[in-house]
Amino acid sequence: MRKSFGQVAALDGVDLVVAPGSLTALLGPNGAGKTTLVRIIATLSRPDAGRVRVLGLDVATQGAQVRARIGLTGQYAGLEEALSGWDNLVLIGRLAGLRRRTAQARAAELASAFGLDKAIKRLVRTYSGGMRRRLDLAASLMARPGLLVLDEPTTGLDPGSRQQLWAVLAELRAEGTTMLLTTQYLEEADRFADLVHVLNHGRVIASGTAADLKSRSGMASLDAAFLALTGAGGRA
Amino acid sequence: MTAVGTAPVATPHSIPLRFARDSALIAGRNLRVLRKNPGRLIYPLVQPVVLLVMFVSVFGNLALTGHGGPYREFLIPGIIVENATLTAPTSGLALLRDASSGLADRFRSLPMSRASVLIGRLLTDAIIFAAQAALLIGAGYAFGFRIGGRPLAALAIVAAVVAFGLAFAALSAWLGLLINDPETAERVLFFPAIALAFVSSAFAPVSLLAGWMQPIARVNPVSATCAVIRALASGGPVGFPLLELGCWVVGLFLVPGVLAVRRWQANA
Repeated sequence: MRKSFGQVAALDGVDLVVAPGSLTALLGPNGAGKTTLVRIIATLSRPDAGRVRVLGLDVATQGAQVRARIGLTGQYAGLEEALSGWDNLVLIGRLAGLRRRTAQARAAELASAFGLDKAIKRLVRTYSGGMRRRLDLAASLMARPGLLVLDEPTTGLDPGSRQQLWAVLAELRAEGTTMLLTTQYLEEADRFADLVHVLNHGRVIASGTAADLKSRSGMASLDAAFLALTGAGGRA
Repeated sequence: MTAVGTAPVATPHSIPLRFARDSALIAGRNLRVLRKNPGRLIYPLVQPVVLLVMFVSVFGNLALTGHGGPYREFLIPGIIVENATLTAPTSGLALLRDASSGLADRFRSLPMSRASVLIGRLLTDAIIFAAQAALLIGAGYAFGFRIGGRPLAALAIVAAVVAFGLAFAALSAWLGLLINDPETAERVLFFPAIALAFVSSAFAPVSLLAGWMQPIARVNPVSATCAVIRALASGGPVGFPLLELGCWVVGLFLVPGVLAVRRWQANA
């Protein structure tokens, strides 16, 4: 798959597979192409060349069917701040095609599962960063997606909120939800991902389990392996 | 943790039904935002009434060359249309705020009709334009503005204002998405609206305007809408200005309206 913005090649021949039921992490320095790849998979952007299939469906020709089967948690919370958490969940569920009662039942289920019961009727603008992230993730799950796409879901969260969010993601993985995520926190990929793809300059430069990448690069930590692979001075 | 599962539970709908349903859901969301944040109604509903009271109180007793009745009879329809013109840019700004937030990616990643975000916005604005026109007609009544001649003329005036307002809202939506920066759009969109309101027959007959303004004022849709309201209020012939207004409304929906939908989709 290829995608350019003017003269800049954001994706330059990316080829990867996400196994059903797995949690796959995309790592890479800033500007490596992670968000571009995620946006193409979520049908928010089109590749210039190449094909992307999500759950057997072509994103270019079957975008609506793909959208009916995925959930997206983007870098910025996709929420209406001037409405309550409840109104957000029900609206997103209904726009995903659920009937009112189904959407309400699902919103109640998810509010409870994400520890938001008490705050769910408050305006989102009064939520903490961690609560917003959890609500955003709950919104992505309203229509029971077959693939959950998470673009830096824990960025900007304090350690407690990150831990809470990962507890939820771990349960989702245990239930067999396929997840693709980008993250800036390599220790998260190390602990939770089944498979890690490292992107650099729009290409996949390494793929494997975190243990594979560490042993291949001869490094003790994924942080060190990442730096060795990308030659980056910064983090993912 | 509640089971997330993978079996889709969404209800399938035909494309037109989906479009209508999604547009209604977006309009419902916009109205709910207004209900929970009533301060947002001050600009479209309270300020226009204050402006009408001020304008009519200050200028209402002026004599107007070439117009039969008191100036206030001429002025009040102009103020109604002026307020719709100045409210229309808020549509573009609201749409742009959605487009610039994480909510846009959320909407675009859902299996909803993409045009429904714009249509839902216009449905909400139709209610606001109708309420604004009704309030201004009511306030105008207190200052001697009377609607006579035809049954249901008041409803026809409200409908004309809504049609005009929505056409301009579609234009502002396109321009807002084109500018693609809420702060710039806030400064830019109101300027042409003010100019259009003044270079028209809203406040004075076209023949009394400066020479360079007159050709613009004659074809300005603000003038056509004012003429429709004045004709409906006085019971005079409404055919030509109505045709003129109709052409503008259709033209603005067909060109900027379609371009706004495309622009929203192109950002995906």
